[in-house]
Amino acid sequence: MQFYISILTFTLISVIAVTGIYVLTGLTGMFSLGQAAFMAIGAYVSGYLVVKLGVPFVLAAIIAVIISVMVGYIVGLPTVRLRRDYISLVTLGFGEAITALLNQAQSITGGALGFSGIPKITTLPLALISAIACIVLISFLKNSKYGRQCIAARSDELAAKTMGINVPQIKMIAFLISVAVTSYAGVLYAFFTTYVDPGIFGWKKSAEWVIMVFFGGVNSLTGSIIGTVILTALPEVLRFAADYRTVFYAVLVLIIINFKPTGLFGEYELSLVNLLKRLSGKKEERANA
Amino acid sequence: MLEVKNVSKSFGGVKAIQDVSLTANKGDIIGIIGPNGAGKTTLFNVITGVYKADNGNVILDGKEITKMEQHMITREGIGRTFQNIRLFKGLTVLENAMCAFDPLSKYSIFDGLIPTPRRLAEEKRGREICEHYLNVVGMLQHKNERPENLPYGLQRKLEIARALTCHPKVLLLDEPAAGLNPTEVKELTELIGRLCEDIGFAILLIEHRLELVMGISHRIHVLNFGKQIAEGTPDEIKENPDVIKAYLGEGEIKC
Repeated sequence: MQFYISILTFTLISVIAVTGIYVLTGLTGMFSLGQAAFMAIGAYVSGYLVVKLGVPFVLAAIIAVIISVMVGYIVGLPTVRLRRDYISLVTLGFGEAITALLNQAQSITGGALGFSGIPKITTLPLALISAIACIVLISFLKNSKYGRQCIAARSDELAAKTMGINVPQIKMIAFLISVAVTSYAGVLYAFFTTYVDPGIFGWKKSAEWVIMVFFGGVNSLTGSIIGTVILTALPEVLRFAADYRTVFYAVLVLIIINFKPTGLFGEYELSLVNLLKRLSGKKEERANA
Repeated sequence: MLEVKNVSKSFGGVKAIQDVSLTANKGDIIGIIGPNGAGKTTLFNVITGVYKADNGNVILDGKEITKMEQHMITREGIGRTFQNIRLFKGLTVLENAMCAFDPLSKYSIFDGLIPTPRRLAEEKRGREICEHYLNVVGMLQHKNERPENLPYGLQRKLEIARALTCHPKVLLLDEPAAGLNPTEVKELTELIGRLCEDIGFAILLIEHRLELVMGISHRIHVLNFGKQIAEGTPDEIKENPDVIKAYLGEGEIKC
C-alpha cells in the first residue's frame, strides 16, 4: 500500500510540474531544458529555510516560490527575446549552472551528497489538493486573455505583434507562471522524499517533462496531465521488467509521436461539456446514418 | 492623418524602397500598385514597424511613429492584414478577433488565474466588440469554427475583422483579393467601400487586380523598383506613360 501511495504522490508532483511546462511549451511554444533547475531552487530554498532556519513550512514554501520567480525574471529578461531554439540553449545552460552550483556550494547544500533531514510534510492529500488547484488555475489562465495571447504568439509572432500584443511581455508572464508552478512542485518534492541531491534536477528531468507534454497533446492541458500520469506511473508499475522498461517507455513515446504527432489528445480537452458534446455528436451521426 | 515622408529602406545592397512619400486622410482609399518586387509590402512593413526605416518619417496624427515598437504602433491606430493569410491556428474565429482586443482588455494576471467579476465583465465587453466586427464583415455565424477549416474568402474577411478590432485610424490591406474568385472579389470591393464610409478611417490598399484598385481608390501611388513613379487619380494613372511602360514594357508597341 505504502508503495502505491508513494507512486501516486510522485505522479501528482510530476503533474504539478507539467502544468507549469504546459503553460510554457504548450501555450507559448517555448522549449525550456532548464525548468528542473527551478524545481531545484524551490526544493533547496524551502528545505534550507525549514531545516537550518526553522521557518514554518507554509512561509518557506512561499519564500521559495518568490525567490524562484525572481531568478526566473533575471533568466527570462534576455531569453524571451530570443528565437525558439536559442531559448532551449539558454535555459539548458542555466539549468546545468544551477546543478553545478548546488554541487559546489557544499557548506550550504551538502554538495553531491545531497541535502537531508528535511521533515516529511507532503502527504497524498496535500499533493492531490495542490495538483487540482494548479490544474484549475492553469485552465482558467488558458481561457483568459493571457492564454489567448500566448497561443497567438506561439502561432504567429509577427501577426501577434501586429495585433498590438506585447510578445516579449506575454512570454515573460508565461515563463514566470511556469517557474512558480515548477518550483512549488520542487517544494512538495523535497518535503516528500526528505532528501534532495543535485543529480535529479538536471536537463534530463526537464526534457522528460517536455516529452510528457508532447506525449499527451501539446495543445491540451488535460492531455498533458494524462500523458504525465501514464509516463510517470508506467515505469514504476513495470518494475518487474526492470531491464526492459526504458525500452518500453521509448517505444511508447515513438509510437505516439509517429502516429499522432499532436499527441494523445491533440487539441481535445477532457471536460464534462466536451464529453457530452461528443456523445450527442455521435448520436446525431448515428441518427443521420 | 497618416503621413509617410521620404521613407527609404535597404536590405544590404538592395534598395527596397527609396524616398517614398504619401499622405492619407480620413475617408481616403489610397491604392498602391506596382509590379512584383516593387516594394509595396516593404512599405507596409515600414509603416507597421516590422522594419525600421533607414531614412524618412512615418507620422500618424502628428505623432512620430517611425521608431516605435510594432505593438505600440498598432495601439496608436494602425491595423493591417497580410498578403499570405496569418491567422492564429489553435483559436476559433471569435478568439482570433479577441486577440486583437486583448492587449487593451483591463484585467490583471490575478484575474487571469481566477474568473473574477472584473474579468467576466471585460471578456463580455470584448466579445461584444468582436461579434460586432464579425457581423460587419458578415461572418458572425462562423464564430465558433476554426479558421483553417474555412474557405479562403472567409479567412480574408476574418483578417479584416481582426484588424478592425484594433480600432485602427488607418487600415492597411495587403492584397486582400489574392486567391479569391470573382464573386468574392465583388463582395470584398463592396465591403471595403462600406467600411470606409461607415467607420471613416483611411485605407491603404495594395492590390494586383487593377479593376478593384481602379474601381474604389480615390488616389493611386505606383511603385516600381522601390521608387514612386506616379501618383494621381485612377484616370490619371491609366493614362500615365511611365505606368504603362512599367507594366507592359517598352519598344514593342508598334506591332
